[in-house]
Amino acid sequence: MMESNTGKFTAEELAVARGCLKKCLEKGADAARITLNKSCMDLVGTLNGEVDKVSHCMDRSISLIIYADGRCGSYSINRFDDKALDSFIAKAIETTKLLAKDECKTLPSPERKAKDASNGDELALYDNDYDALDAAGRLQKAREASIFESTAATEHEGWKLISEELEYSDCAYDTLVLDSEGLECRHSETSYDFGAEISIEDNEGRKYSGRWWHSSTFRDGLETLSCCTKALDNAIRQIGSKSHRSGKFTMVVDSECASRLVTPILNALSGSSIQQNNSFLLNAVGKKVFSEGMTIEDRCRRKGESGSRLFDSEGVATFEHYIIEKGTIKEYFINTYIANKTGMSPTIEDATRPVLLPWPEKSLDRDAILRKCRNGILVTGFNGGNSNATTGDFSYGIEGFAFKDGKISHPVHEMLITGNFIELWNSLIAVGDDARPCMSKLIPTLAFSKVDFSG
Amino acid sequence: MAECTRNNRKMIFSKEYYLDTFKVTEDEMRRLAAEGLRKGGDFCDLFFENTSFRNLLLRDGQVTGGGFHIDYGVGIRVLKGERTGYAYSESTDYPSMKLAAEAAATIALTGKDGDNGAAFANGELVEGQIAKLIRDAKDRAAAYTPSENNGCRPVRRFFQGKPNPSADRYPMIEDWRDADTAKLLPCLNRLDTSIRAKDSRVVKVIAMITASVTDVLMFNSFEELKYDTRPMGSIVATVIFSQNGAMENKSVSRSFRMGVEMITDEIIEEIAAQAVEGIDERFDARKPKGGQMPVVMGAGASGILLHEAMGHAFEADFNRKGQSIFSDKMGCRICPSGINIIDDGTVSGNRGAVNFDDEGVPGQKTYMVEDGILTSYLHDRISAKWYGVTATGNGRRESFRYNPIPRMRATYMESGNADKESIIASVSKGIYVDEFSNGQVKIGEGDFTFFVKSGFLIENGRLTAPVKDINIIGNGPQALADIAAVANDLKLDNGTWTCGKEQSVPVCCGIPTVLINNLTVGGE
Repeated sequence: MMESNTGKFTAEELAVARGCLKKCLEKGADAARITLNKSCMDLVGTLNGEVDKVSHCMDRSISLIIYADGRCGSYSINRFDDKALDSFIAKAIETTKLLAKDECKTLPSPERKAKDASNGDELALYDNDYDALDAAGRLQKAREASIFESTAATEHEGWKLISEELEYSDCAYDTLVLDSEGLECRHSETSYDFGAEISIEDNEGRKYSGRWWHSSTFRDGLETLSCCTKALDNAIRQIGSKSHRSGKFTMVVDSECASRLVTPILNALSGSSIQQNNSFLLNAVGKKVFSEGMTIEDRCRRKGESGSRLFDSEGVATFEHYIIEKGTIKEYFINTYIANKTGMSPTIEDATRPVLLPWPEKSLDRDAILRKCRNGILVTGFNGGNSNATTGDFSYGIEGFAFKDGKISHPVHEMLITGNFIELWNSLIAVGDDARPCMSKLIPTLAFSKVDFSG
Repeated sequence: MAECTRNNRKMIFSKEYYLDTFKVTEDEMRRLAAEGLRKGGDFCDLFFENTSFRNLLLRDGQVTGGGFHIDYGVGIRVLKGERTGYAYSESTDYPSMKLAAEAAATIALTGKDGDNGAAFANGELVEGQIAKLIRDAKDRAAAYTPSENNGCRPVRRFFQGKPNPSADRYPMIEDWRDADTAKLLPCLNRLDTSIRAKDSRVVKVIAMITASVTDVLMFNSFEELKYDTRPMGSIVATVIFSQNGAMENKSVSRSFRMGVEMITDEIIEEIAAQAVEGIDERFDARKPKGGQMPVVMGAGASGILLHEAMGHAFEADFNRKGQSIFSDKMGCRICPSGINIIDDGTVSGNRGAVNFDDEGVPGQKTYMVEDGILTSYLHDRISAKWYGVTATGNGRRESFRYNPIPRMRATYMESGNADKESIIASVSKGIYVDEFSNGQVKIGEGDFTFFVKSGFLIENGRLTAPVKDINIIGNGPQALADIAAVANDLKLDNGTWTCGKEQSVPVCCGIPTVLINNLTVGGE
């Protein structure tokens, strides 16, 4: 089958997916789930104002979960011709039957499955103007934001421009999940992205880079022009950065990078981690583990809001709920397998669109939080580091600024923060209301007290 | 030539095998290259890939998870100067590939000078036009003879090698694609049993075998045809321990460009032994007092220092754009004399080994630092042309979905003259580290970090209290200049190291025991 140059499924592609499901059952599967994925992406990159890269990507794949004789295997293929699919499915069923029995691997119960995602457009996340885009329009988008020529031609006190790299891309995704018990749900979405990275050199030959990006579901919503100036500003602000003395300081974390401190919490709530004892949040549901100020809600069914989804990868309907409320763990992410295995009630397999709610006041931005905290270190980016899934201990490289009397005083680098997530989130001072809507996790500026910094 | 057993018979992968795999002819590839060049491109290459990936997963004592995955397609790249047009197709029928070639060809129209060289803009190409497009492109590329060599031998830009490598760096005795799943299952069960038998504190074992075999066929507008079959097998064990209510974890892996023959009783036993090694210390470990101090990096996995502190900064794309902290350091001393740092694609069976890179350039052993002097960056074809040096075989990509860029292979430092014990004895107050999980670097600033899973304090020349889960940060040029001693115990680490610069590629790292005078260690 020749590839179609559009982001949405063709009738032929949908027929292939339905045919695969039928073939699975005909060839000996007791049950099956098929996921059909398609994406189409175009990208234009510029270097110093000139187009440096153009690319066009079209991906399609069929993933199969096959249940046979009490066993279950997972498979995928990106070939859509009948002959390849026939032999692939036959071999997949044969392989599944070689695995050990695991009666816990089943399809989700029918009442949990999504029933309101039939055409993929229910959440209004597909830009109908997407298919009208052409190469000239993409080139214009990529070029129009450049500030290279104007910046390079001007003398600047204390620095010179080294390079400007910009990247514009647009993408359309389509996903269909089918199973042998009649599930059929679909999600279609478009995304427009723009990123800028600018490198400068100061008078002493030290290099600094600054980045900024924006993303939107709709072409009209994409902000490109501000990305370059913000990236340049981020680079310039680092000039003269130095290591800060070690000690315990108040830490404010910019909304641009604050999700780094939330992701390990969400990972620790994963049913798989819990079942394998590989989580620092074992036996924590219903318990107040974190500060009163920590409330995370999964706002996953918001129409027109990027990141919203009506179903998870099993086809289970998402639902809006508190994951953590006033520091109390409300639930783990329990999929069908983990529910069967542990006896816990199934929920959803992951956080879909987590939102950390403001605290203690409803409207604090970063500057207001700096004023509130008075003195400390503002973290604007992380440089490496990791955490221990079983203990919650973490250590990260950071960059940012020291602040004094609520105002930024000087940039810092080559510093580390070290601690434990439970202790960190119990030292929460404030949660802002300035999360960037284009991020997958909506985490605003955060402030914590007495964090260990090494420099 | 790759020789292996398929369906119980010995077969040799020949050109015909690859052409048949991708259902393409040499004439079609030539036509596609011409399609890529027809809007004025300088160079066009095609990268066909057929990857079969399989995995088996043991949890709770049984292998209940597993499957396989097929990834198939062709990536088509057109270069115009240093600019790249790229598109791919998951189908290798000619019309789909032609669409991809046309999309990639548009790069030639995007320069400030607009349409600059579209010889045959419209209609089906005929043989005479194809021949002219290919001939003209060859002529343009021939003009790329270097005038400056940055320490490398000045050679033509593009390697004119033979179709197949003379040395096969990853012979596969038993092809993963034909492996009997029923025979692999007990290997994971044995690993589980062995780990549990060694330590009563083990509460969970997750063990996994992942393996892939990739057939690659490459053709370019120099009419060079290269083909390769690349195996990769990995075995990983993650173990959860419980002691008096406290939990700890440890992950151990081995990964090689080998066939099924890599799964032996010896490797299972080796992984099991390492999985429980040092657990007493891990339960006892505490966070150290943070700050700047001497760091002794143990032999092997500490090679992550080279990968992050300098390897990325030596990748020539960053230098070509002036972004790397090492951009103006070619020919300069960057670390003490006697130190040699290498990026090597020739280590047989190694995770970073390449017969050819993903641009068809033969795998090589590249000295980046010789006797403390920076002598070579790591080049793909674009940067080699820009610098006027030979490509070093570092043009790598995650799959046909990505254009190749300069990437590391196996990066290591050669042994020095000191010994490990005397290096540790020379430190009055510092830290010894030997197990890591990940690292990162800021190319322009040179600030790098790596996360330490385990190590020890050094007090008065002796290893004392265990430490774990701390990040270490430093600055690349400063850290290299601060290398105070190199031991004679070089070791490559054969774990599942994967580099994530824009794309994921398998790499390897290694180092002898090294003392660095001053790095910043995370802690209380």
